[in-house]
This record gives sequence, C-alpha cells and structure tokens, in this order.
Amino acid sequence: MSDEQNHNVSRRQFLTYTLTGVGGFMAAGIILPMARFAIDPVLQAETEGDMKAVTDVSELTENPQRFDFSYEQVDAWVTSEVTETAFIYRSGEEIVALSNTCTHLGCKVSWGSSSDHPNQFYCPCHGGRYEKDGTNIEGTPPTEPLHRYVVEVREGTVYVGKAEPQV
Amino acid sequence: MRWSTEDIPSFVKERQYVDTALLPLLPVEFGDGIRQSAAMTEFITIMTAELERQFRGRILLAPSYTYLAADGANTPQTEELNRWIETMKKEKLKHIILLTADSSWKKIEYELDAFLVWMPLVPLENLDAAYKKQVISEQIKQLLPVVMDKWKEEGKS
Repeated sequence: MSDEQNHNVSRRQFLTYTLTGVGGFMAAGIILPMARFAIDPVLQAETEGDMKAVTDVSELTENPQRFDFSYEQVDAWVTSEVTETAFIYRSGEEIVALSNTCTHLGCKVSWGSSSDHPNQFYCPCHGGRYEKDGTNIEGTPPTEPLHRYVVEVREGTVYVGKAEPQV
Repeated sequence: MRWSTEDIPSFVKERQYVDTALLPLLPVEFGDGIRQSAAMTEFITIMTAELERQFRGRILLAPSYTYLAADGANTPQTEELNRWIETMKKEKLKHIILLTADSSWKKIEYELDAFLVWMPLVPLENLDAAYKKQVISEQIKQLLPVVMDKWKEEGKS
C-alpha cells in the first residue's frame, strides 16, 4: 500500500511540475526573441553585394579615369539596373574614387572637360568646378566636395562601396 | 529633374537654376504604324531619361507630348504644341528642347518656337542589354554637346 503510494504523484507535485514546465516555455518564448533582437547585428552576414568590382588595379593611373559599374536596385516593386560612374586615380599608395554627381544639383561632372581648366572636374550645367581631390572651388555653385567612394582592393581588383560625403 | 513627387519640390526650390525644359514628342498610331509608334516611344523615353540623368540640375523633363501621328501628306498640328511651349516659357523655362523620332516635325520646325532635335529611330528590339546600353550611350554622347552649345549660345548673346 505504502509502496504504491510512493509511485503515485501527489496532486501538489503534479501541479508544481506542470506549472514549472509551462512557465518555463512561456519565459523562453518571451526571452528568446528579445535576445535574438539584441544580438541581431552580430548575426547579420556581411554580404559581398555591398562592394562592386570596378576594374583592375593595373588600369589605374595618376589621372582620374571614368569607370562605369552597375548593380540592381529594388525600389518598392520595381527592380532596376542602376549604372554609376566613378572617377578613379592613384595618389601615391592610395586609391581615390570620386562620384561624378555634382553636389550642387546632381548633374554629371567630368574630368578636364573645360578647356580653361584642364585639371579640374567640371559641371556643364552651372559651371561648378572641383579640384582633383574633389574639393569644390570657391566662387562656383557647389557648396561641398564631390562624394568619395569607399574603396577596397582584393586580389588586384578594385571594389567600390558607398559614396560618402567628404566633409 | 523628373516629373515626380520626389523631384518637383527641388525644382520649385531651385527654379533659378533650372532654365531648360525637355519635352519628348511621341506620335501615336493604332493601325499599321503601331509597331513604329511603340519603338519610337521606347527609344525617345530612354534617350530623354538618360539626358535628364546627365543634366538633372538644369533640365526639367516634362511629361511626354503625345499626339495622333500625321498620315501621309499631312503634317502634325503645331497650334497645341505651341501653346505648351508658350506656357513653359512664361514659367521662366527659357530653353525648350523637343526630342522626337518623328521626322514630320522637321518640315515645320520653323513654326515652332523651340529647339527641335530629331533623332532617327534606332531599333532597339532584339538587341541584348549590354549592346543596347552601348548604342544608347553613343547616341547620348552626340547629344550632350548639342544641348551644351545651346546653353553657350545664350551666354554670348
């Protein structure tokens, strides 16, 4: 009789086990998503798609040359292929990649296209000019330097990332 | 600047810098010429979009002017188009560039108070994407100086 009683689970024990079990699941259900959110940036894989291959290092010279590169952009429900242009040159050990978008109103500048100023970037819309390093020239419409791309070299290939303001 | 809710506010803000309107002229046909009409629409739309991308700080890309294509000996009606031009000029868009692949405008160019650029249609169908891009960028390269010269002309006078 007493043996049989030992094998039985009392009402109190049964309730304790059940409540602990269910409570544990509920706690886990609340805490796990919170933990997942907290460490999410760490788990985010660095995608290679953020950097675009543009050219070989050997192609670069001291003079800015134009290089086009394109990538796909999803905008709401439209996926479109966007082409961007960068002027890339070597400055000592450093590789400089400048955006060709005028910081004034967004026309496309080019290197040396004005015969009066062969060693500057020139914007055909309102005559904005920039030095070789992208600095805007006082007295022309632009108010900030050309944006500069993040550059990375991997195995002899030049990759560019986002264009960032220089100031 | 494009005709979009994104660009128009900056046009309104920077109007003193935007003095040029780009107006695509697109003939519409529903009969035998429908293929040609579609091809012209595609071609001119790509060209104007690219031109806008290059010169967005000074050019306003207006919505396309569409009209029923003139048949045979007839020439297109200039009256309505001239009203558009007049309205744009009143709003201080002093350079109006009309871009079209429809050669019938060429005959009555003198009746228009704007700068008409006619480009022969380049058939883009059946071209692969890379080649299409190359063809377009070659065409654009030829077109850029035409627009820039137009601006310079004004600087001198």
